[in-house]
Amino acid sequence: MSDAPRMITLSEWDDRYEELVATGLEEPAYGGPLSRHVADGDLRLRTLLFDNSAAALRLWNFLLTEEERLTAARASGKKLIGTMKDLGTVPVIAYSASELVAFYPDGAWWIPCVMELSAGLLGIADSLGIDESFCPVRAMLGAFATEAHFPIPDLLICSVGATCDDFSAIAQRLSSLGHPIVWWEAPARRRPEQGEESVLLPGGFRATVGQVAFMKSELERLRQILEKEAGATIDDSALTAGIKAANRVRRILGALRLTVYRADASPLPALEMLIAEMLAIHFCSDREESARVLQGLLDEARSRQASHLGVLPEDAVRVFWVNPVADLRVMNLLEKCGGRVCGSEFLFSHALDEIPEDLPPMEALARMALADPMIGGAGDRADRVCADIELFGAEGLLISRIPGASHCATEGEVIRDRVRSRLDIPVQEIEVPPVSDSLLPTLSTRIEALVETALQRREK
Amino acid sequence: MAEDEARAPMKTVVYSCPFVPAEWIAAHGLVPKRIIPSINHDAAPSGLTQGLCPYADAFTCEAIADSTLGAIIFTTVCDQMRRIPETLPPETTATVFVLNVPTTWETASVHKLYRNEIERLGRFLCALGGATPSDDRLSEVVLDYDRKRADLRSLRDRLTARHFSEAIARFHRGESLGVEVDPTPHVIHAGASGTRIALAGGPILQHHFDLFDIVDEAGGVIVLDATGTGERTLLPPVDRRLARVDPLAALADAYFGRIPDAFRRPNSELYAWLKREFALRSVQAVLYVRHTWCDTWQAEAQRMKEWCGLPFLTIESGGDNHVDGRTLSRIQSFMEVVQ
Repeated sequence: MSDAPRMITLSEWDDRYEELVATGLEEPAYGGPLSRHVADGDLRLRTLLFDNSAAALRLWNFLLTEEERLTAARASGKKLIGTMKDLGTVPVIAYSASELVAFYPDGAWWIPCVMELSAGLLGIADSLGIDESFCPVRAMLGAFATEAHFPIPDLLICSVGATCDDFSAIAQRLSSLGHPIVWWEAPARRRPEQGEESVLLPGGFRATVGQVAFMKSELERLRQILEKEAGATIDDSALTAGIKAANRVRRILGALRLTVYRADASPLPALEMLIAEMLAIHFCSDREESARVLQGLLDEARSRQASHLGVLPEDAVRVFWVNPVADLRVMNLLEKCGGRVCGSEFLFSHALDEIPEDLPPMEALARMALADPMIGGAGDRADRVCADIELFGAEGLLISRIPGASHCATEGEVIRDRVRSRLDIPVQEIEVPPVSDSLLPTLSTRIEALVETALQRREK
Repeated sequence: MAEDEARAPMKTVVYSCPFVPAEWIAAHGLVPKRIIPSINHDAAPSGLTQGLCPYADAFTCEAIADSTLGAIIFTTVCDQMRRIPETLPPETTATVFVLNVPTTWETASVHKLYRNEIERLGRFLCALGGATPSDDRLSEVVLDYDRKRADLRSLRDRLTARHFSEAIARFHRGESLGVEVDPTPHVIHAGASGTRIALAGGPILQHHFDLFDIVDEAGGVIVLDATGTGERTLLPPVDRRLARVDPLAALADAYFGRIPDAFRRPNSELYAWLKREFALRSVQAVLYVRHTWCDTWQAEAQRMKEWCGLPFLTIESGGDNHVDGRTLSRIQSFMEVVQ
């Protein structure tokens, strides 16, 4: 088997793995063949196509062994912090204390996909009154009920306010089931009014000085709660170090996104890029290792780019992707339909932008938290999407509606209209359930329509 | 022409959320109007249907259809309501304000945040043509509303359940109560005959007032309107001493601190209120109304059912402008079972 970049099946990965081992593959402790995860119930792997690099192997193994890391962290005396909904803010504070490990129980939203509904989490959510009218994050309830997918955290912290109603409602239900939650308020970010002093946020949005001060006070409150849990002080110097370490991850990821999304031939597939971006949220429970995993991907991408090698044809249509998909397989589907991902907005762009290092740490974190795309208007998101589409040279926009999500009823229209009017590129919306096999023909048709329209525009 | 006559008519500010302080709007010289929308299939659509709660859609349609309005207030109590202003059609004549109502309530900082938002609303009202009220003027308005609410509450035992809920709606619309008071103690008194039902859930639409009659005809009686448009969101008495010395603080305290609702985090105060009221009214069963795609009240249904341990019927309100036959049949069956 050659080292030429290509996308391979899980069974092909077994052969590839043996080949890599034979040629001296060095792996971390969590390494091993990908197919072993199927025995753990990760059945969806059987239908996915993967990048064939050692860097991608390490990425997947890192992702799929998080539960083991959490269990080991607890065994070593560390406290587990379940941070919910803010997607990138609280973990920066938590990881500033060596006694704490933060992770997102929200990540359970992918369990129904990865385990192809075999874990029964959605059924448990149904039985608790959280039916399919909610977004797939309702799987989190089932994960708490079964205690089979992650250790129950020592402390739960959830942001509410200007977040989606689905998550807020589900978290309240979780609380009612005997899991106490520390709630904190994410105020709705709004455009500064005439005469109001405002500041620039990472990513380019603006917020009023008053909102930043409020956010800072909320994060200060969380710092004190985390200090109590850690049994140690998280002072400003520790926070500053935590921000620098988080920024290191973000910088590598930023370079990876630029390299992959702007390359003529995509050096890495969409699915691996989605997983890579997710690492920025909470470092997959190991901040330093996440940086190494991302660096491996960046090195691979740069090497391939330097050799003019890609996993997809150079003429693949460059598509910008909005919202995460509940079914990972649909990332493969875009590529099968002749597209490639050139830019993304998975609802956590604030976890990708570097945190200001020239400000007092809490001020910097407050500004970052306020840059969360979820707590602002869809118009803000649309502006960010437009800017990134231009940055990455995307030719089309794919908005992936999240089934049942309260924000998806309105925001798709706002983003679509603004992108069409400002950039005049084709836009398509799809809705992706956790296991979309039965919908693949329909999804293919919609994605192909986007790809074909973009191709026709090239000819003009 | 007298100066008063030459003045432009006061602008009306419409909203549906109970966390918008009517007194603040009135004290600015504008007309507050909290409405219970109806679904009007003839009205111009909001343009948003897929995944949008029919209540939010109905409110939006009704508000944007009224060209006489000065302003529409949306709030962040509901994610969809928060986001709708970005999607309003360009021909919308009324100006729009989005009030940030914090979800958490246990810290002083969120109370301050709410008060700051009320002050920001005040600046908006001034831009709309209102005038910042003096403390004395605000105090006067706050105490006047408080008296009117006390009058309204005193009617509870002398009106039918439906009439009382409709009177609350009229009060919030800024209309006179206009009710004919039955001199005899009425059915919602303790001891009234029929299975004693609590109507619970989020805000109701106009046609849901028919539920009172449906329950009545099925041999029950609604003794508590715990919906988002009923007694639950009728502001409790304000701190009258505070209202005299710092009326804005009294207003913020009452509106932000004392209306129990499912969206609050934690929402323990909702259950504390329900516990007290269920006991006071000797509630025997619950009729629970929720709108399709309303996550907040959908998530609460099962929990409330488990919590109260009473016969419990959830009815889902979709896009109809009437109680449909299936729902009617379900309610009738439910009433038969619980009697």
